[in-house]
Amino acid sequence: MDAPPFSLQAAMNTNLSLTKNDPHHEMGTALVALQKRQKTLQGIKIGAVWAALIALLITGLLLLNIEPAYIFGHFYVILQGAWVTIYVSLASIAIASLLALIGSIARLSANPIAQGVSGFYVSVIRGTPLLIQIFIIYQGLPQIGQQISKLGFPALGKLFILEAIPAGILALSLNYGAYMTEIFRAGLQSIGHGQREAAIALGMTPWQVLRRVILPQAIRIIIPDVGNQFIAMQKDSALVYVMGVWEITYLANKYARRDSKFMEMFLIAAAAYWVLTIVSTYFQNKLEKRMAKAYER
Amino acid sequence: MSAEPIVRVSNLHKWFGMLHVLSDVSLVVQPREVVCLIGRSGSGKSTLLRCINFLEEPSHGIIEVDGLKVEGGAKGKDHRQQIHDLRLKTGMVFQEFNLFPHMSVLENVIEGPVTVKGMDRDQAIALAEENLDSVGMLFKRDEYPLRLSGGQKQRVAIARALTMQPRVMLFDEPTSALDPELIGEVLNVMKKVAKDGMTMLVVTHEMGFARDVADRVLVMSDGEIIEDDKPNELFTNPKDQRTKALIERYRSGEG
Repeated sequence: MDAPPFSLQAAMNTNLSLTKNDPHHEMGTALVALQKRQKTLQGIKIGAVWAALIALLITGLLLLNIEPAYIFGHFYVILQGAWVTIYVSLASIAIASLLALIGSIARLSANPIAQGVSGFYVSVIRGTPLLIQIFIIYQGLPQIGQQISKLGFPALGKLFILEAIPAGILALSLNYGAYMTEIFRAGLQSIGHGQREAAIALGMTPWQVLRRVILPQAIRIIIPDVGNQFIAMQKDSALVYVMGVWEITYLANKYARRDSKFMEMFLIAAAAYWVLTIVSTYFQNKLEKRMAKAYER
Repeated sequence: MSAEPIVRVSNLHKWFGMLHVLSDVSLVVQPREVVCLIGRSGSGKSTLLRCINFLEEPSHGIIEVDGLKVEGGAKGKDHRQQIHDLRLKTGMVFQEFNLFPHMSVLENVIEGPVTVKGMDRDQAIALAEENLDSVGMLFKRDEYPLRLSGGQKQRVAIARALTMQPRVMLFDEPTSALDPELIGEVLNVMKKVAKDGMTMLVVTHEMGFARDVADRVLVMSDGEIIEDDKPNELFTNPKDQRTKALIERYRSGEG
């Protein structure tokens, strides 16, 4: 009447060994508890390393020739800019995702016009620096608008003259849309051919195959990359300060010049971006967990 | 036997680049008939099956299912509509199951009727539950495919195809991706489907199934049907040398 030898692996992989009927039930629960303790301990250790590194970082910063009191007195300035940064980034990532979705579908379609337009868009945008794109959109679009107005279409010309924030959102969306087109394309292509065939065999139209079968699966693969792009974009949104958008970097620069406190103001700005990144990462992880529901064994 | 055939394949050719994988294949299947396609890998049997619902576009030839004639290699909107109608008449079961992993078992089975046919959701669920029950998978109704065994997945895939209420079921090596101990449960479900009067075309390596369930067995080699006979006759008294060799190979594999 020997019970089978206890396997930790088996206990971790299945719930079967944890039923009350298992003569080794207690051994299993004890091992699971041990693993839990080890996991907690590991977390504490990593936390301690973080704390030590933060202390080291602060010590290093204190060695700089800065005035800590000024920093504490000007946090609120940056907070005002943080809302603009968040707003610009969120709007841009949403529009960029839409562009990327359209761009990737076009890239994978059989239509030569769609393929050509999408390929050209990705090539031009990825081939040029974001800063130059921002200048062209901010300085160049109004010039085009004026020319169009002169030709006798003032209503159409007006559309080209953008406020700073819409212009910034446009530039970031176009830029990230191009990079994300490639991410979306890879995501769509990663779905096995069998999925498409099964959907086709059921009689689905190409659009139904995309909407019901391919996209829902691809989104799960794309989400981590989009999160990564969003985090990168929060920092790249600093570049739109050249348009005069009152976001974090613009405000930091403004006060830095006024009070000659460059190091202080930029440290606050850096800290603000870091906090934004940590918050974004938190939400990204939550979203990923939710999307993994169907894929848990 | 004067009934109208339900499937008629006429002078089918399929080229993959310069590779002539199907060469002038013709074939007729009567309603309620179970036809097994056997042959070595690369003989063209899967391609023939996939041409019937235009998963592969035939290079030349005519596919006719339940009175709907579709010409291979044609173009245009009417042709696409014909292919769509043809696919509604055929259900397909794949070697790799190809269940939709982001949908539960029930959602997989009602997806076709609801999305493609525009069937009322409740009606689709009732039909789906009936079919899931008949393949013995109703108890996993709300489970996701990842948590099913291969045999269970394939049974759900069969229920998914049946719920579209096709006139003909196409099986493309339905047990080839399964662990040996799971093959039986899938074959039993297929036997049941056959018994319920479904017309079936089955590409398979399961000689036992072909012998017990098929009304006819077709042997394919190098893109042609080289033998077409009742299973008893074909297995005991093969006429073509290549059929003999094939059956020998299976015997030694089985024994």
